[in-house]
Amino acid sequence: MASIGVGDTLPDGQLGWFDENDQLQQVSVHVLAAGKKVILFGVPGAFTPTCSNQHVPGFITQAEQLKAKGVDEILLISVNDPFVMKAWANTYPENKHVKFLADGVGTYTKALGLELDLTEKGLGVRSRRFALLADNLKVTVANIEEGGQFTISGAEEILKAL
Amino acid sequence: MASALARRVGGSGAAALWRAARGFASVGSDIVSSAPGVSLQKARSWDEGVATKFSATPLKDIFYGKKVVIFGLPGAYTGVCSQTHVPSYKNNIDKLKAKGIDSVICVSVNDPYVLNGWAEKLEAKDAIEFYGDFDGSFHKSLDLGIDLSAALLGRRSHRWSAFVDNGRIKAFNVEKAPSEFNVSSAEVILDQI
Repeated sequence: MASIGVGDTLPDGQLGWFDENDQLQQVSVHVLAAGKKVILFGVPGAFTPTCSNQHVPGFITQAEQLKAKGVDEILLISVNDPFVMKAWANTYPENKHVKFLADGVGTYTKALGLELDLTEKGLGVRSRRFALLADNLKVTVANIEEGGQFTISGAEEILKAL
Repeated sequence: MASALARRVGGSGAAALWRAARGFASVGSDIVSSAPGVSLQKARSWDEGVATKFSATPLKDIFYGKKVVIFGLPGAYTGVCSQTHVPSYKNNIDKLKAKGIDSVICVSVNDPYVLNGWAEKLEAKDAIEFYGDFDGSFHKSLDLGIDLSAALLGRRSHRWSAFVDNGRIKAFNVEKAPSEFNVSSAEVILDQI
């Protein structure tokens, strides 16, 4: 399916999440994003270098600025299970706002048309690196990387667009 | 014989015999031929992956010419796996080596980078070799796959352990349920070597 783009509506889907009380939840994207300004950014894999050392930290450190510009939620998704996402989130003790959501078998990533086959690297089918800005479920910014590189999908680009 | 099997896998005699003869791998069979064409991904950092060109390790390199104790679990960073299963083998590594075991291997349906992060967190990399069955093909070939979608994990593996001597399975233990931890511990397999 074609990748999601500006003007599209964010599809609904279920993502896994260990909430503040350490309870495993399934959350619906529409429930999280309806009526709000949300950033949804995706990475190929937890515990891989660009994701861990550049992409995620960018959103963590810029979270306050993003919120000051009206962003209600900053959602990170990756095709990993919720236990792995929780462990990965714990490696960022300074994180206050980014929610680490698990797209365990990649269903939501497929719904966005953003799957990427990284089988030869031992990862299986994952997600492309991307960042979306959605206002009441309507996509207003869609920055999608071609491969695994990190050029347009960071927090800076979203900040500029706000 | 039946009672020994029952003790190993739990449950009634008939169920135990069925479990022991399950699928394609059982005591006496060759683990490498049970999973033809399958390789595993050694746990590594991304940089190590690049340096090794993301190469996979064929089963024959892992099992032939060696005495191996291998255990599999549903998932890295999950409760029983982290808190009891891996520590059981980490804490018994000297006893296992004293009995002539060349490698102790932990395998799960995870990618090698997640596994590497987990193995480092558990400080278990010195004792245990971690391998990722990232697409589940190893466990599927051994009939050890299980759908844990209800726990949001997707297709994973049972909790199990085996003693494999030069590729031949000498002992094979599978928990009745992946959340249990009885027959697949290091203590049990130490008696079976």
